[in-house]
Parts: sequence; structure tokens; C-alpha cells
Amino acid sequence: MTGAVLVPASGSGTATKGFFDNPKLDQWICFWSIPVFYTLFGVIFVLLGRIMPPPTPTLSTAGIVAFMTSPNLSLAVVLLALSLGMYALNSGLMLTQMKRMEGVSPVLRYAYIAVLGVGGLPGCLFPGYMFALGAFRPEYDPEILAMLYDLGFLCFVGSLGCFVIQYVVFTIAVFLDKRGIFPKWLGYFSIWTLVTELVATPVFVMQTGPYAWDGLLSFYQGTVIWVAWQTCVTICLFRAIKSQPVEELGLPLRPDEI
Amino acid sequence: MHTKDQRICLWLVPFFGSLFIFAFWNFQGFFPPMSPTMSAEEVAAFYRDNLGNIRSSMILCNVIGVSLIPFYTVIVVQMMRMVNASRVFAYSYLIAVINGGTLFALADLAWLNAAFRPDRDPQLTMLLNDLAWFAFITPVGFVIVQSFCLAMAVYLDKGARPVFPRWVAHFNIVTALLIAPSAFALMYKTGPLAWDGAISFWLHITTYALYVVVMFFVVRAAIRQQDDEALSVPSSWKEQTA
Repeated sequence: MTGAVLVPASGSGTATKGFFDNPKLDQWICFWSIPVFYTLFGVIFVLLGRIMPPPTPTLSTAGIVAFMTSPNLSLAVVLLALSLGMYALNSGLMLTQMKRMEGVSPVLRYAYIAVLGVGGLPGCLFPGYMFALGAFRPEYDPEILAMLYDLGFLCFVGSLGCFVIQYVVFTIAVFLDKRGIFPKWLGYFSIWTLVTELVATPVFVMQTGPYAWDGLLSFYQGTVIWVAWQTCVTICLFRAIKSQPVEELGLPLRPDEI
Repeated sequence: MHTKDQRICLWLVPFFGSLFIFAFWNFQGFFPPMSPTMSAEEVAAFYRDNLGNIRSSMILCNVIGVSLIPFYTVIVVQMMRMVNASRVFAYSYLIAVINGGTLFALADLAWLNAAFRPDRDPQLTMLLNDLAWFAFITPVGFVIVQSFCLAMAVYLDKGARPVFPRWVAHFNIVTALLIAPSAFALMYKTGPLAWDGAISFWLHITTYALYVVVMFFVVRAAIRQQDDEALSVPSSWKEQTA
């Protein structure tokens, strides 16, 4: 009964002595990586990189060179390369809580793992590298810099597919779950966020107006709703971990359960 | 009983590892590493002069590029055996492995593409070469999270016989710290942090090679321990989950 080591006397689940005695320490570490990661995300993309809010797709060659040579763009991508892995902790936590759902088979968890394994690269690190390439050698031909600029922003704002499927999988799981690990309204909110992703699809065609990559609908609306969604998910995760009974913790999986 | 597949995946490591050593040695661009200060013409000339070596090495790297993934999934399975409060670090580890592998696969494609048309505009060859080196040296965030997850899972392993000894956790943290500075190769063209520098290149690949060798023996010991436990307590799973 090695599993019993972790389970304190019944009913004392919340009355732990300190942070390091918390039986859910592993989940809390992953949880607190979420605000750290998104704070860094803001520092990287808004303050240092000036990637958000994005400059216009119709920027002049001189403007593109100025963007690529802005002093902290390289540093922003360095921080991104160092910290992007943290979203794996966030994803692992979502999976851990999804595993508690009742009436939800592993199929949605596997889909979620696979989608997240794809997600962060085309939409986040790859565009970062396009900007870092431009910042690394501003002496590239202007057409190459312009291509890196386009490629960076189209991937950053326009890489939607992974997130759409992530929302679909998550929404199905929330609605099927009989145990109410996450509230049903979070499922509806995810559908709303999914729709805003679809609204951004014209970025690949439009260079001006609300549907361009710096547009009111494609960028601002999507970003505002995504930030709200991420905040709600974080709060719901907090509640889900908090209310998880300690009796559920600490049992090793049977080999066929892995 | 359940470990034959794990042992097969484990012994793929020396096999693919020796192929990696051959591919890296044959590439010509690693020993010594190509300098980021080479001009576009010099980079294009390097590809023209070493075409056969670059192609053969990178075609081999393309085939074996993600061959360490079966080894890392053995580590995931061993993490599942640990008596942790949840599987959260094992899941996070798996996601980090998938992402890290994807980037290495991208690097050799960029090298191969640069070598595909040696008469291409040298600016484009340089662009592909830069991208390859960036993707090869700098995406350290996933290795950091991988090592962090494994270290935390080991620290928090409450089993009577821990799956990995405690020093493995320290070792993973140290590895992550030694590899982390390589991300700065995105910023510097000269000095120890440049992609051909003492820290970003030499320390990085030496640490990583040593890491794989040490983890090979650590994982082998863990699989043996699993065999022992399966022999001594055949019904342990049922008892624990009852």
C-alpha cells in the first residue's frame, strides 16, 4: 500500500501545514506556472518584441527594417525559446483534470495531447524565429526581410487550426463530463472563442481593414476574448484542483491504464 | 513481463546514438561548427564544397532525427510507476518531448533544402542555414521543461523503492541549467554564446550527449527494478488500487 503514504487522515485535505506539505504540490507547481508563463508572454510579445499589437501588413520596406532592428526583438525571442516549454506544464495540468471526468473516454485526452504537441510551434515559436532571423541579419535583401515579416505575422495571428481543434476537444469533454469538473458555461465560452478564431481566417487574404492581421476583428477581438477565456480556464482549473478529494491522489496506474 | 518493449526501446539508444555520432562527424559543419559571421558567399561556397557530406549526413539525420523519442517514452512509462500524487509531470514531459522532437526534424530539413540547389542565391542559402542552426541550437525551453518535470517527479516520488534515485533529479536540474544559455545564440554572432561558441555549441552538445548516456544506465536500472517487483509481488497493482 505505497499509495496510502500520501493520503492524510480523512477530511484534513485542505488543512495542510505549508506549501511543501501540500499533497497536491505537483499540480500546484504546474498551476502557478500558468500566470508566470502568461506574464512572460506579455513581456515578450508586448513590451520587448513589440509584436503585439502587430504593425500593419502594408508597412514600408524601411518600416520593416526598423521593426526587425528594434533593440529588444532578439531578446524577446530568446526569452520565448527559454520559456515556451512551460506551456507543456499548463497542458499536462489540463490533462490531469480531464482524466477525472466521468463519462469521458481517454480518446479526448489523447486528442488533446496530440493537438497540444503540434499547437505551440507554428503559432508561437516559428513566428518568433522568423523575427529573430530578421533581427539577426538586418543586412538580408529587403525582399527576404519582407517575407520573414509576412511569414512571422501570418503564422502568429493566422495559425488557428490547432487551437480550433483544442477548443472542440475541450468543449466535447466539458459537455460529456457527468462529474462537473469544469462548469458547463466554460464549454459555451470555448465555442465563442473558437468562433473568434474562425473570424480571423481572412488574415491570409486581407491586407487592410478589420480582417487584416492588425485588424479590429482578426486581432483585437480575438485577443480580448482569448485573454478572457484563458483567465476563466485558469480560475476553473484552480477550483478543480482545490476541490479534488485527496483520496483520489497518489495511486500508481495499472500498466494497462497508462 | 511488461518490460520487453521497454528494453527494446532502451537498446535503440546506443544504436541510433552511434549513427548520430557518425552523421555529426561526417557533416563537416560541426567540427569545428560553422561560424555565424560567415558571409552569404562563404556559406554558399561551404555548401558547394561539402555537398556530398552535407547531403549524406542530413539525409541520415532526417531518418534518425526523432529516434530518441522511444527512449523518452520509456522514461514516461517509468514516471507513471512513481508514487506521485498525480500524473501531471509525466503528461507534461510527454508534450515537451513531442515539441522538442519536431524542432530537430525542422533543422535537418532546412540544411537539406540549403544543399538541394547549391547555385541558389547565396542570401537564400544563408537564410536556410541560419534557420537550421537556430532550430538545432536554440529551442532549449522544451529540454528545460522535460528535465524539470522528471526532476520534480523524482523529488516527489513517495514510493518505498523510488523508481529513480534522488541524484537523478539533481542531475536533470544541472543539465537544464547548462543547456539553457544556448537560447542566446539567437542574439550573438560572436563569443561563447554564439551558435559556434564554447557555451552554446560545445557545452550544449557535450552535456546532452553525457545526459543521454547517463540516463541510459539510469533507465536500465529502473526497468530491472520493475522486473524484480513484478516477480516478487505479482498482484501489487490490484492491491494498490483496491
